[in-house]
Amino acid sequence: MSTPGSLQLVTSRSRIKEALLATLFFACAIVAVLGVALIFAFVAYMAFPVITEIGFLDFIFGTRWSASSGEFGILPFIVGSFVVTLGALVIGAPLAVMTAVFLSELAPPKLRAWVRPAVELLAGIPSVVYGFFGVVVVAPIVARLWGGVGFGPLTAWIILAVMIVPTIATLTEDALGSIPMGSREASFAMGATQWQTIYKVVLPAAKLGIIDAIILGMGRAIGETMAVLMVVGNAPQLFAGITAPIATLTSQIVLDMGYATGTHRTALFGMGAILFIISMALVLTVRLVARFGRAHG
Amino acid sequence: MAPEMTREPASKMTQGRDKKGSTQGKNVANNVALALFWVAAGITVSALAAILLYVIVRGIGVVTPAFIFTWPHGVNAEGGIFPVIISTIYVTGLAMLIATPVAVLAAIYLAEYARQGKIVNVIRFAADSLASVPSIVMGLFGFAFFIETLGLPFSMLAAALSLSLLMLPIIMRTTEEAIRAVPRYIRWGSYGMGATKWQTVSRVVLPAATARIITGLVLAMGRAIGETAVVFYTMGQAINLPITPLDSGRSMPVHLYLLAVEGINMQAAYGTAFLLLVLILIFNVVARYISKRYSRIKE
Amino acid sequence: MRLLLTPFVLIGFLAAATPFLTGCSDYGYLESVTVAGSTTILPIAEVAAEKFVQSTPDASVLVSGMGSSAGIEAVSTGTADIGTSSRHLRPNESHDLVDIPIAYDGIAVIVNLSNPIDELTTEQLRDIYGGAITNWREVGGDDIPIDLINRDEASGTRDAFTEAVMDDTPFDVGAVILPGTGQVREVVTRSAGAIGYISVGFVSPRFGTNPVKALVIDGVDPTRENVGNGVYPISRTLHFFTLGEPDGLTKRYIEYVLSDAVQFGAVVDAGYIPVTWRGEE
Repeated sequence: MSTPGSLQLVTSRSRIKEALLATLFFACAIVAVLGVALIFAFVAYMAFPVITEIGFLDFIFGTRWSASSGEFGILPFIVGSFVVTLGALVIGAPLAVMTAVFLSELAPPKLRAWVRPAVELLAGIPSVVYGFFGVVVVAPIVARLWGGVGFGPLTAWIILAVMIVPTIATLTEDALGSIPMGSREASFAMGATQWQTIYKVVLPAAKLGIIDAIILGMGRAIGETMAVLMVVGNAPQLFAGITAPIATLTSQIVLDMGYATGTHRTALFGMGAILFIISMALVLTVRLVARFGRAHG
Repeated sequence: MAPEMTREPASKMTQGRDKKGSTQGKNVANNVALALFWVAAGITVSALAAILLYVIVRGIGVVTPAFIFTWPHGVNAEGGIFPVIISTIYVTGLAMLIATPVAVLAAIYLAEYARQGKIVNVIRFAADSLASVPSIVMGLFGFAFFIETLGLPFSMLAAALSLSLLMLPIIMRTTEEAIRAVPRYIRWGSYGMGATKWQTVSRVVLPAATARIITGLVLAMGRAIGETAVVFYTMGQAINLPITPLDSGRSMPVHLYLLAVEGINMQAAYGTAFLLLVLILIFNVVARYISKRYSRIKE
Repeated sequence: MRLLLTPFVLIGFLAAATPFLTGCSDYGYLESVTVAGSTTILPIAEVAAEKFVQSTPDASVLVSGMGSSAGIEAVSTGTADIGTSSRHLRPNESHDLVDIPIAYDGIAVIVNLSNPIDELTTEQLRDIYGGAITNWREVGGDDIPIDLINRDEASGTRDAFTEAVMDDTPFDVGAVILPGTGQVREVVTRSAGAIGYISVGFVSPRFGTNPVKALVIDGVDPTRENVGNGVYPISRTLHFFTLGEPDGLTKRYIEYVLSDAVQFGAVVDAGYIPVTWRGEE
């Protein structure tokens, strides 16, 4: 495309103005890059003494956490974060993908006009409200059905599963929407039922988009803080059953940040750096999936 | 809009098939499978309904004009939550003021100025990463950087700066999509008349994209209002009516969290949750209204 | 474009105006006292400040709550005039601080109403919280597993409980950790096997919540009287700390907090026991 700057009508004054504006816009765009770099550099810098004061391996693989007696092994939190996230995905991902298929393939237009805003609204509810609902409604129900006091992975799974549904469902719906109508019509024309069309034509065609959606849902779940903090039970122990309390990287940071000093604080920043690295890895994975899609699609 | 239009015939066709299919025995599997999709959507909608209904039923009686417009008093925070509401609006507004100009200009760069290449890739990757940074890491950074390193007090400003980092990529994405949605040929007309790039962007493209940009901004504000972890250790937690950006305060989500765990005044917790949901609902409805109006104008 | 730049201008203006505006609030009064620290003490200090300022119009009292450790740090460095703390000074903290007890607090061990146990010894309590006893049968109750409820490490209540009961025995890591008094109480009201600990002031039902049972510990009832007299074994003192002997407005504020108006007002309302306890309820 030819740039308008080459037009004769443009005076040199406005050409300078154009250049300055372009530079300003570029500078603003760079803010995002600087922001990410600054956050990572700063958190990593604050976390660095972990290596000298605790030892990297003792920090990552240590199973005992007790700030008052100076033990800072965060394996229970790493395991906790993954337990909570994977469980939420097992419940939430099928629910979300099926909801998306419903919206894209099955719902009568009038019903869709109601269900889709509902899914979007689910994304807008603050996490602390989810946590509050978990504490006053879900935890007592879980306690009644499974024993214990209701704080633990199971309660967190239920709450988080609902929280990640909108993320996964809206992205999956986008992926389904970009499949050409013709492939569905071809399937119907060959006598396939709607279900056969969905699982043999539609879902495979949207496979990469759905994988992306699930990875981003995973990112949402692993970074979720307040809702998890309120329902997970916060015990610094390795996974010990679906109703035994555990803690996650995010919940422990919130719980301790207000009073932590010295090595304890350093350890919290170390946990923050690990969360940062996990979320970056998920973003990279999404990019790799997209590249794979371009190469093979 | 456009994708919906193309999908409507599919649904109609679908309904036709269902009637035909149900008369055939071989389609029992089909019906069972399709029923499962209906059930899944039903569960999703019921989850929303359960949360909304519960909070509304428990909270609506608590929210009186006095609850909204008076201060909390006494040792158990009885009374209203006025300063908490103001702190919430204050910090969200301030964060918007900081994030919006940068994000919108960055989006203009990405949508109109940038040539595809390494730099754009890096910027997009950075924006995606920024969007995926867990909010507690943002809070941790905000506390250590703005408060401990730069020496800001626990304040609206420190919290808003941290929040704006969270909002930046969201606004960037919605704005860029809004600008890209403006048809190419509109630009050609402007260039054809001898307009410069900036004249075209500022007088033709941006006005055409304004409604969608504002929709994105409103949704980002809705997101920021409910954010807890970012402001938890940057805003202070004592109840205070902020006047200057350097004043501390307690936002509604933080207030709800503290009430929920302290549990000595659950009435106020239900009332706060209710008001928070009402605010979020308003933002969603406004965003929907703007984008509806926009699409009608377009037609 | 002009519209886009407005926020920048506004921010610039706000930033420029800020020192002026905050300057006003600092120097508009003749004197001010800064109180920082324990969230436990926050409501007492706030209510006292509110009333104190009413009777002393030229004064201002700024109260904030960021935890006991932060309060002790703030008063040691001179950032605050008074540091409030729900625990004693630790060995590594400044001992130039003057300790002014402002209230006592007993920590009640609570169980569900359906639990037949009425009494425990501190040894049994230590075994329960250390994880050596895991079923109520082992202390003479029903055959129900014990659901341990603990507080977070930032909690002053947990500090006091640790000091009075645990005696270097580590807590069972499998305990549910809840970050607030109300939550502990709420969970115990609905769980047959649960045990938790909260301030005695929060045992009685408030705001329509269900009742819980406070256990007799080492033969002593957790009444306000027994806590005030120091007979009840699990208790703590709420402190004000100042750097050197307090004087001026700081001294007057502290005197006001120690007066009957606050001691039998805000202190009792907040569920604590007046430091000037004289035995009458």
